[in-house]
Amino acid sequence: MIDFDALPARVRDFLRELLLERAHVLVLGLGKDWSLREVLGDADWHELDIAQPGALLASLHDLFVGIEPGSDEELPFVELANGRSVHVHRLVDGDGFFLILLDAQAARDAQRNPQQLANEAALAGHEKSKAIQSLKQIRSELEHQQARLEEANNLKNALIATMSHEFRTPLASAFGQLRELELRRSAGDAEIRALRRSLSHLFVLAENLLEYGRGEAGGGLLHPVPIDLRALLDDCSSMFRPLAEAKGLAFHASLDAASSAPACFDEVKLRQILINLLANAVRYTQRGEIVLALRWDGERLHIEVRDTGIGIASEFRASVFRPFNRGAQTGSRGAGLGLSIVQRLIEQMRGRIELDSEIARGSCFRLELPGAALAAAPATRGDLQGRVFVVDDDPDITQLLEHALGGLGLEVQCFAEASSALDAALAQPPALLVVDMQMPGLSGGEMVFALRASGHRGAILVLSANATVEARDAALRVGADRYLTKPIDFAHLEASVRDLLARG
Amino acid sequence: MSGSAFKVCMLGDFGVGKTSLVARFVRSTFSDKYLTTIGVKVDSKEVLRAGREPVKLVLWDIAGRNALDTVGANYLRGAHALLLVADGTREASLATALDLLMQSRSLLPSAQVVLAINKQDLVERWEVGPATVRQLRQSLPVFETSAASGAGVADAFAAIAAGLAP
Repeated sequence: MIDFDALPARVRDFLRELLLERAHVLVLGLGKDWSLREVLGDADWHELDIAQPGALLASLHDLFVGIEPGSDEELPFVELANGRSVHVHRLVDGDGFFLILLDAQAARDAQRNPQQLANEAALAGHEKSKAIQSLKQIRSELEHQQARLEEANNLKNALIATMSHEFRTPLASAFGQLRELELRRSAGDAEIRALRRSLSHLFVLAENLLEYGRGEAGGGLLHPVPIDLRALLDDCSSMFRPLAEAKGLAFHASLDAASSAPACFDEVKLRQILINLLANAVRYTQRGEIVLALRWDGERLHIEVRDTGIGIASEFRASVFRPFNRGAQTGSRGAGLGLSIVQRLIEQMRGRIELDSEIARGSCFRLELPGAALAAAPATRGDLQGRVFVVDDDPDITQLLEHALGGLGLEVQCFAEASSALDAALAQPPALLVVDMQMPGLSGGEMVFALRASGHRGAILVLSANATVEARDAALRVGADRYLTKPIDFAHLEASVRDLLARG
Repeated sequence: MSGSAFKVCMLGDFGVGKTSLVARFVRSTFSDKYLTTIGVKVDSKEVLRAGREPVKLVLWDIAGRNALDTVGANYLRGAHALLLVADGTREASLATALDLLMQSRSLLPSAQVVLAINKQDLVERWEVGPATVRQLRQSLPVFETSAASGAGVADAFAAIAAGLAP
């Protein structure tokens, strides 16, 4: 311990100033009963009113609650009720004691700042780790949901593919039988035309559903063939004129064929567009007329479907092309799919559509569709030669194909499953293989792959009920030359067969 | 001063709301701005007790810490009761409070102990689960408190006052 009195005068003065003045020392002499005997030091700084010392003394007294009175005590950094931070020392002296208060404000502030930063950093770190944990959990939930969505989507795609197959296979058979009937009887026969009309309508309805369900799985494939616009117009008239007239509406249909060039379009999709537009026109028109006008200029087909119906308000004109939109037209009874499908089909056909409409005056849909070029040239029936294998597990389909391909002059051999067809093809390669994809046992894809892997160079045409781009790409990847979908479009089939055989 | 005075130490990790609980209890005020306590703040409030003399609670709001050092232990000397404070949104602060209780037991073997799990207004963000609270209640009085709303604060201090003799 340093001997204070032995210190040089200047040092003593310095330390006195430092300890006594800067520390704002206050010394209270107190009796055992806390009676104030004397006050020495900086009373003002400690807000001690010597005449009324009660408040400060009460605060100080609180500090020693529970503590035995007979011992010296040290209490650092005490913030009293008046907000002052002090170091408090109790020194017992005879029958009383001294309380020494030293200013701790500056020291407290110096400690507080780094402590505050450290504590805040720790609290923020805790919040951060919680946020990270929460984000991880959200991410994991999102991944889980995404996996479930993908699973649901895969299920949906599988369902659509199955539905596609289920719809198309009986329809293919019905269309094939209808074609046989048309060959035997007059195609103009009213009953046969009614049958074709209803089948076509059913087909379009099924296609609408499939087209919608296909969704992001990619647009359907286009099968452009030369079409008879007059017959198309007549079919539409005979389908919708009776419906219009039953409501007291006039039905006008016209065709302006300015060019003699063949109009090549995907007939199914074109019919789908017209039927959807005309069905809407009839549905939303209570009086007046329905007009269907076709104009073919050799490059583009211009279609106008006009009605004098309830019209579509301007704010709904964009939304009518969205699926399941039923609010745009009062009194809507449909599923709200028609116009969305029309727009999608038009996009697939690289065309465009415009809508003019006025409430209570009617609507007018104007379409422009570019015609497609067709590779195959028409030829005389029965002029082809060569062996063809037809492989399909549906006997109705093999029978139809046997008849159709036989009619072209080809020697047709049918197989109900792929493995025997593969053996036969390896033994005696056919010029053309027409094969279904989905079959029990060895699939069409596996058969095509095995043939190509063995060096088979003959033409391979896949005929499948699955109308997705993915299915087509998969078939082409395993080695098919051409991919057609069911129901069988015989004109397209014939064109494809001619093209494939001509390539050798 | 009427009645007896008792020393009550607030003990818990930093940031759990010890200062805020005292401010709510003594002055009915609350600030959501966090200001760390250095050393100790001493405040007091008289508490009425049904059918008994009122008591003065001298509240020692001791700087938050996760272990009891020499200075902290010095502040605890002579305490009649401990109000352990934990933050429901930080489960670790509950462990700290219980840890501090264990450390203080040798100094204050007979002090009355009450546990306040604070920040009840943020209960949807609590890490402390109801099962934990249920389990804790089997060994000591536990109050869910909110210095922000005042919920449970008076009850926690009243429980301390009720347990003090005479």
